[in-house]
Amino acid sequence: MSALKKEVIDLSGIENEKKQSIVGKRIPRSDAFEKSTGLARYTIDVKLPGMLVGKVLRSPHAHANILNIDKSKAEKIPGVEAVITAEDVPNRLFNGTFTIYKVSPERAKHEVEDRYILSKKARFVGDGIAAVAAIDEETAENALELIDVQYEKLPAVYDCIEAMNTDAPRIHDFAKNNIAKHISFPFAAGDVEQGFQQADYNIESTFKTSKQKHCQLELDSCVAKFDPQGRLTIWSPCCQIHLFRRRIAWLFGLKEGMVRVISNYVGGSFGGRSNFNAEPICIALAQKSGKPVKLEYTSEEDFIVHMSRQPFVQTGKIGVKKDGTITALQTKLVTNGGAYFETSGATTAVNMVLFMGLYRCPNMAGEGDVVYTNTPVSGGFRGYGNPQGTFVLEQIIDMAAEKIGMDPMAFRLKNHRRTGDPSWWPSIPLGSCALEECIRIGAERIGWEEKRSRKDTGTKKKGVGMAIMSHPSNVFPLFIEHSNASVNLNEDGSAFVSVGVSEAGQGSLVVLAQIAAEELGIHVEDVHMVTGDTDITPFDMGTYGSRTTYVLGNAVLSAARKAKIQLLAHAGKKLKVSADELDIKDRQIFVKGQPKKTIPVAEIARDTIYDHQGKGSNIIGTSSFNASNSAPTFQAAFVDLEVDTDTGVVNILKMVMAQDIGKTINPLGAEGQLEGSAAQGIGYALCEDFVVDSNSGRTLSDSLHTYRIPSSLDIPELEIILVEEKDPTGPFGAKGIGEAGSVAIAPAIANAIYNAIGVRVKELPMTPEKIFKAIKMASSQEGR
Amino acid sequence: MSYLRNFEYFEPESLEEAVKLKLKYDPEEAKVLAGGVDLVPRMRRRQILPKCVISLHRISGLDYIESNGKSGLRIGALTSIRSIELSSAIQRDYKVLYEAVHQIASIQVKTMSTAVGNLCVASPASDVALSLFVLGAKLRLIGRTSERVIPIEDFYVGLNQTSLRPDEIAAEIILPSSTAQLSCAFLRLTRTATDCPKVNVAVTMKVVDNRCKNVNIALGCVAPTPIRAQKAEDKLRGQIPGEKLIEAAADAAAEATKSITDIRSTAEYRKEMICVLTRRAIEKSLNMKGESYRRGDMQ
Amino acid sequence: MSKQIAKFNINGRPYEVLIEPQTILVDLLRDQLDLMGTRLNCGVGECGACTVLIDGKLNLACSRLAITATGKDILTIEGLAKGTTLHPIQKAFAEYGAIQCGFCTPGMILSAKALLDSNPNPTKKEVQEALAGNLCRCTGYLKIVDAVLAAADAMGKGGLA
Repeated sequence: MSALKKEVIDLSGIENEKKQSIVGKRIPRSDAFEKSTGLARYTIDVKLPGMLVGKVLRSPHAHANILNIDKSKAEKIPGVEAVITAEDVPNRLFNGTFTIYKVSPERAKHEVEDRYILSKKARFVGDGIAAVAAIDEETAENALELIDVQYEKLPAVYDCIEAMNTDAPRIHDFAKNNIAKHISFPFAAGDVEQGFQQADYNIESTFKTSKQKHCQLELDSCVAKFDPQGRLTIWSPCCQIHLFRRRIAWLFGLKEGMVRVISNYVGGSFGGRSNFNAEPICIALAQKSGKPVKLEYTSEEDFIVHMSRQPFVQTGKIGVKKDGTITALQTKLVTNGGAYFETSGATTAVNMVLFMGLYRCPNMAGEGDVVYTNTPVSGGFRGYGNPQGTFVLEQIIDMAAEKIGMDPMAFRLKNHRRTGDPSWWPSIPLGSCALEECIRIGAERIGWEEKRSRKDTGTKKKGVGMAIMSHPSNVFPLFIEHSNASVNLNEDGSAFVSVGVSEAGQGSLVVLAQIAAEELGIHVEDVHMVTGDTDITPFDMGTYGSRTTYVLGNAVLSAARKAKIQLLAHAGKKLKVSADELDIKDRQIFVKGQPKKTIPVAEIARDTIYDHQGKGSNIIGTSSFNASNSAPTFQAAFVDLEVDTDTGVVNILKMVMAQDIGKTINPLGAEGQLEGSAAQGIGYALCEDFVVDSNSGRTLSDSLHTYRIPSSLDIPELEIILVEEKDPTGPFGAKGIGEAGSVAIAPAIANAIYNAIGVRVKELPMTPEKIFKAIKMASSQEGR
Repeated sequence: MSYLRNFEYFEPESLEEAVKLKLKYDPEEAKVLAGGVDLVPRMRRRQILPKCVISLHRISGLDYIESNGKSGLRIGALTSIRSIELSSAIQRDYKVLYEAVHQIASIQVKTMSTAVGNLCVASPASDVALSLFVLGAKLRLIGRTSERVIPIEDFYVGLNQTSLRPDEIAAEIILPSSTAQLSCAFLRLTRTATDCPKVNVAVTMKVVDNRCKNVNIALGCVAPTPIRAQKAEDKLRGQIPGEKLIEAAADAAAEATKSITDIRSTAEYRKEMICVLTRRAIEKSLNMKGESYRRGDMQ
Repeated sequence: MSKQIAKFNINGRPYEVLIEPQTILVDLLRDQLDLMGTRLNCGVGECGACTVLIDGKLNLACSRLAITATGKDILTIEGLAKGTTLHPIQKAFAEYGAIQCGFCTPGMILSAKALLDSNPNPTKKEVQEALAGNLCRCTGYLKIVDAVLAAADAMGKGGLA
């Protein structure tokens, strides 16, 4: 098991482009010292003097009215400082994500706000009903046990299709048939019915995807403290500190300036920390008790309450001509949103939009229903609807290719979108797309031609399959894509760069430092990143949507450029040349064409500060960058595997992922992101299954014993190829690839399984049980 | 975070003292602590709330793998599974036990877990138990006034239930004389490489001139306890097995099982896989196909 | 049972602490001794984030009563570097991109140390097996394995322990 090759392929061939000395290099991240020595501090490590311990009382029932809560006994326990229920917290319905701030006011109306800080009705096993703050954990737990809740149990429903029946129990009063929202594909084109009529073959199939847990290692927690003036400070692993601040302020009736959000290092997010987790209850406890409170979720709570990837029941239909032209694409999906809406609307939309955004097709339509069930809440997870939709799309593509007798790779090469074609947002064309090269090189590395026609005898059968994908580098123009950066020169010629991003492991800090250092002509170790504090760092929309390298990278590049202009202006005066004649390299400002005429950056930086002529200033470049392009990235994934037909066990022999990355700022980081997300994709494809008991609604997948994620022994040989065709709008041409690795793996595996055994498994995870059953059914149908 | 509820705690300095302490409580109220990998997490999760915990860790002389006089081996109560894995004597003379413990992936878990402790949890999925079944191992149980040695199969009476009397502590595993001359196989299926098994099968057999003698087949995860596949053994004993006979034996093994559906697998799949794994384990033992079986579903 | 004074030897330093039998080792380290590098996640012995070395052997601090670790040499991640000089394994983790969010890193590094202490020249497979008890959700393990092999190489050449 290894990354066989670490390869960067540069397609741009621009000869006179300035060669970078820092961007593109495998530079270790700057937080490695702290993280490898155990000195790194996460929210879960925060301790404050006088801090109380918070605990939440959760519903044991999947669906129940709350008739009465008697907290009097709990309040009397010595050491209990607050006991709260719904009536003790702001009575505001909210949605725990921040989509309404990102989209236009018109679109924001489509978001559903359906939950309270503490629920007034229990809608899933684990729904938070009451909370306690006490001097220690034991006291808090004793208090919880003395809160007497009178429930009226109601019938519950766990399956999203059943939940839509007219006789299903209604979970939210407003949602008839438990449909929270109907969402249509916003870019419907042409006439799909006509498109299907024009086709020589129509292929339609229904698939089920699963609920996937983030299993980030840092459990949810929050620390909240009000100071005597009523200013709130929160420590949280949230990844959108400014939007978070705005939402908290609104929820608790505070002005944003009275709220400070600090996000230290974050122990993994993968999209699960772009929303509230422990924070609202923690803040409510701090408000009620008047003391700092730490609310730490147990591992079980984290499993049940931390939202997990939406499962879909999704039908995909494709119309295709014998020559391989796609005439129509349609999808219908039912989203199992769980007990509350949260991100289910957004992921339903993203699913459809990216489903339709990969291939050239004149007739497209899609419909989705977000449905409530009495199960733990679904939420955003790396890919955000795209892994689910691509699982469907890339299999019906393979099925269509098979129907017309065309090689699936050739079919994709014929039909995928290219530079200049409309992107997923049709009015904005693709500025770059290296997908064709990704497909070709990926196919070569996996050995596509010779392996496709393998015919194994015996019980172990090999197969090779592929899938392609696309994902934007930010969500413009659907979302505001706005980032700020400030680049500040120190007297010694080093710089500190202030940005609002949270470092959740994705490696943004070193990437941004490289961009700043490259532009400023200093060393990367001269750049210190300041991040994650709304009192210190400038506004940022947050760490999500693969956006940091692209949007914040552009902001840092622009800010560094401004700082550089100031440096050169000052240097020009000193050297008595025009600033246009100057450049910076290796910490030295030099005259172009006269490399020996130099002056250190440090000298200029110091002199501008300690100016004895009364003209002192600080060299600071600030920039507000607004994306005007989403610069989608593309990928071709190939899987070679073997199926043991006696057991249904899949053994992946090799995986190849070729990524259209634009420009690799840091190959070490880029590979790490792709490898890590591929591992999540393997778990999603083969073994990760979040199970809820169909009688009680209790979560059975409540620990890492019961819910399995891949270990070091479960990852196959993986080859990553970074294909560089610079994007005209990305910083140094870069695109964002943080989510890309988790999207195409599952369908590539499904297609490879089909190539191996002629059986298609349409439900995730594709466990040996399901594969074995499918093999048996296929055999009996063939009358063997 | 997630403290443990109160319990009385003792650190006896001998097994006899431990037994005396245990007797002061009802059987369900007192827990003996060896490694703790099972007990401590369960206490943290409030799945077990003992009144008393009796830790054996201060008792010296319980960590050993040593010869049992003329033949056989004894494994002490505090001997870790990791020590068993690293023991050259075990690797040489009790290969099926080595294969069983080697399949357990986490070194931390193997280091902290004791083999005797693992047996006392009485899980039907225990790889250790399964391999000891086919080795004809015994357990020494120390009571207040006496001790007894029982076959490992008699130790298991139900799901997570052993035949330990209220005054007894399991003290030692006794292995018979070397099984180096036996053929053996240990196979399991898991969801990921580090998971507990969905099904597991252990086989030892003596093959003389292609003829099966002394066949021992044990099946895990398909009944409340590990079980012997007696009907399968009966079919093979004394025979020169061909493909048909092996299949018949595997079918007989599966017939005797009572699988359930749980978070790891389905009843139907387990029944089918017991048949497949039994067949493969017999074949491996007979060296018919010489396949190598990889750890875990995903590899 | 009430609290009692217990003596520990952690990272070569003696500690006297007030504990109860109920105190779990990971909570002792984190809550009382501010040794936060030993992380807590699953609490059921599955993820390995709480890995420490006790008398040179790998242990899970989440599954061990602190009282059973008195009188033993405990090594946590804080005890590995010498001042600002990183252990070769720590250096390799940094250089080979084996760290992302960093939460699993202390446990991973200690498992790697246990491996290299007993097997200074492991194969790739042996490294994978040695790390099987440490889960990582960020990296996909590939660079972690690369880092451990590189550390083995560096330690073999430099002779650093």
